[in-house]
Amino acid sequence: MLEVRDLQVAYGAAPALWGVTLDLKAGELLSVVGPNGAGKTTLVNTLAGILRARGGHIVLEGRDLTQWPAHRFCEAGIAVVPEGRRLFTTMTVLENLELGSLLPAAKAQRQASLDAALALFPALKAKLDSAAGELSGGQQQMVAIARALMTRPRLLLLDEPSLGLSPLVVHEMFGAIRQVNASGVSVLLVEQNVAMAMQVATRAYVLEEGRVVAEGTPNELMQRPEIQRAYLGA
Amino acid sequence: MKLSRTPLVILLAALALAFVPNLGLPAFYDSLLYLVLHWVVLATSWNMLSGYTGYFSFGHGAFFGTGLYTSATLMARFDWPFLYTLPVAAALACGLGVALGAVVFRVKGVRGEVFALLTLAVTFVIGTIIVNTPIDGGNGVSLAGVAVPKIGPTPSSTFYLLALITATVTLLIAWGIAGSKLGAGLFAIHDDEDAAEVMGVPTYRYKLIAFGISCALAGVAGGIHALFLNYVTVGEVFTIAVPLTVVLMSVLGGSRHWAGPAVGAVAITLLLYAFTGSNLAVAGKAMVGAILIAAILFMPEGVLPRLQRWLVRRPPALPVAAPVPAAPAVRTAATTDVLLQVRGLHKAFRGVRALAGVDVDVRRGEILGLIGPNGSGKSTFINVVSGHHAGDRGSVVFEGRNLLGRAAHGIARAGIARTYQIPRPFAHCSVLDNVALAAMFGGAVPDPDAARRQAMQWLDFTRLHDKAHVRPDELNLHQRKFLELARALASRPRLVLLDEVLCGLNPGEIDDAVALIRRIRDQGSTIVFVEHVMRAVVALTDRVVVFNHGELLAEGAAADVMQRPEVMSAYLGQPAPLAAALGGAHA
Repeated sequence: MLEVRDLQVAYGAAPALWGVTLDLKAGELLSVVGPNGAGKTTLVNTLAGILRARGGHIVLEGRDLTQWPAHRFCEAGIAVVPEGRRLFTTMTVLENLELGSLLPAAKAQRQASLDAALALFPALKAKLDSAAGELSGGQQQMVAIARALMTRPRLLLLDEPSLGLSPLVVHEMFGAIRQVNASGVSVLLVEQNVAMAMQVATRAYVLEEGRVVAEGTPNELMQRPEIQRAYLGA
Repeated sequence: MKLSRTPLVILLAALALAFVPNLGLPAFYDSLLYLVLHWVVLATSWNMLSGYTGYFSFGHGAFFGTGLYTSATLMARFDWPFLYTLPVAAALACGLGVALGAVVFRVKGVRGEVFALLTLAVTFVIGTIIVNTPIDGGNGVSLAGVAVPKIGPTPSSTFYLLALITATVTLLIAWGIAGSKLGAGLFAIHDDEDAAEVMGVPTYRYKLIAFGISCALAGVAGGIHALFLNYVTVGEVFTIAVPLTVVLMSVLGGSRHWAGPAVGAVAITLLLYAFTGSNLAVAGKAMVGAILIAAILFMPEGVLPRLQRWLVRRPPALPVAAPVPAAPAVRTAATTDVLLQVRGLHKAFRGVRALAGVDVDVRRGEILGLIGPNGSGKSTFINVVSGHHAGDRGSVVFEGRNLLGRAAHGIARAGIARTYQIPRPFAHCSVLDNVALAAMFGGAVPDPDAARRQAMQWLDFTRLHDKAHVRPDELNLHQRKFLELARALASRPRLVLLDEVLCGLNPGEIDDAVALIRRIRDQGSTIVFVEHVMRAVVALTDRVVVFNHGELLAEGAAADVMQRPEVMSAYLGQPAPLAAALGGAHA
């Protein structure tokens, strides 16, 4: 579904991705793990169209998106939940969600999307009229995911959805991500909580210093001693 | 202390320029040079508050105009000699600025564009008052009968020499502020005022001092300009043109550098005059505009910083790390002595209860874990104890003194430091200066150079020494978290509040950070540790307290508290992740 070929991204003169190649098949839940500074967030932002690639290709369902502007990535079916959520904090939850469905195709199905989102996160029902900035961290993360789903994406990019969440909420969050994936949306998940990321993924990539250093099913990867040492802690 | 060359260069340049009137140039040049210096004073003085702190004032015309009308009135109506009016002009403009600042700087909401609009409004209010009272009377004030004291060889050299003296003093002050503790505080306010306050910068007082000096200098410039114009009207003075021009000059030259506004003032004044004489005046003005647009597009930081980067390729030498004086008492084990006693602490945000009366004791030398669900009040607790938010009720007693209601900078100086969950470095200051600021304000090291040497020590401690001269945005999250720690430590706190320092780190990096936190405790600080990574909580803490809905849910040893059913259901979910967390800790 998504083919990334030799993707190169740089900030000014400093390269962040040195030629990343990865594939995502329709319906997969792909995890990307690696140390801070490996380029994971850069990868997500480039796949979302927020950053422009220096070289390489991003091909989604046969179309080369590499040089498209960011808003057309959304049209093409990619939605992103950015690191740190980036909600419109002074707007209500409902307004945040409605802003997710601005495109004509998504607008037509706004009510159905909203119902689906609230079914996924029932806790938001009571909060629709609250300002998004007043919600707890867990609820804000729910709004961010729900807002992304309102665009009716076929591919959802999640950047650190567990950041700053309590263990109970992390657990619920990963449950919800699985549910989204089961409903037919492909997911690319970037996560520091390696144990959780590996538990939910169908396949995973390990990124280090802007390069893919390992790839495989979670079981394969977790058996490698160097991965265990580096990402699961001694 | 080494003597800097900069003030000598300023003084020598001024001395050389003082002989210009003796060259016998046409009077036009005296006037042109006067105007250049006039704008140097206005732009540089504006920059002391607005450039350094980012509080863009559009009210510089009001303070300039106050000085101008003060001098004009004293001369025309009360027959004061010209030179005696200047101190009064400075004092009145300064008083107006300080009075305005005393009100405006207290209100947290008045930042950015609100401050700009408010100061602009003040300009029009004062202009309206003056034009409708006998001060002006609507017709302007004529100074035709006032004698111009003759300073220097020619009549027109008086203004030039006065402006030269004022500009010299202004530049010396601007340079002095930029390199001082005051300047470091002002630059920090620019980048993140809340973080600066928490680090011990008395933000309110500093803004007021900068505003006062800025307004006084604008007042002097106004006083001199009154006699230069010879006939003053409100319509020409209390306008938006004055502030817009100085903003443009400062931004063009570089508003974070003391000399930036002066460079911009010289460039713009000369550019404008280069064309007024010719037949192509209109085309010339358009060209000036085009040059300015190009300069700002391609040099957004200003001309001067860009030039500096071209000329100075070599990074400045790193200060040698100075050993930090030993902590008062090095303890490695918790004592029963209570360092921080919190009783009945309440805090609500617009009716939503965040803290509903919590009691917490922090014992000297311990690492106390603070855990609980999202929204349970952990961050609010840290925000209230550190003074970032004011508590509603209760008491926060630290070493026997109640800190509730104190300003954040006072709490920082009392010996409490904190980190932010999402790192909040001062983006335009180097990593080294970020840490040095904390040493200067929280750690009470008044000399900036000494503070930098101590800061190096803390960068060694957090293994960031090779990043000392980069900007914080070049650090990755892991390093930015360590920078937060280095800043907290540089203030030599007895109590450190860590707000989710591990959040966003992967397990390998967490192990690094856990080891670092142990070393922080071992060098004498007590730690309150808010965290969701249970493995680290179990490994590090002596005790934990659990918050839920703003109340204390449980308290005790980590392994014990986490087995309790109420903690499991409110926070950990089912026992499975707990087992995994504990297993991870022992593996």
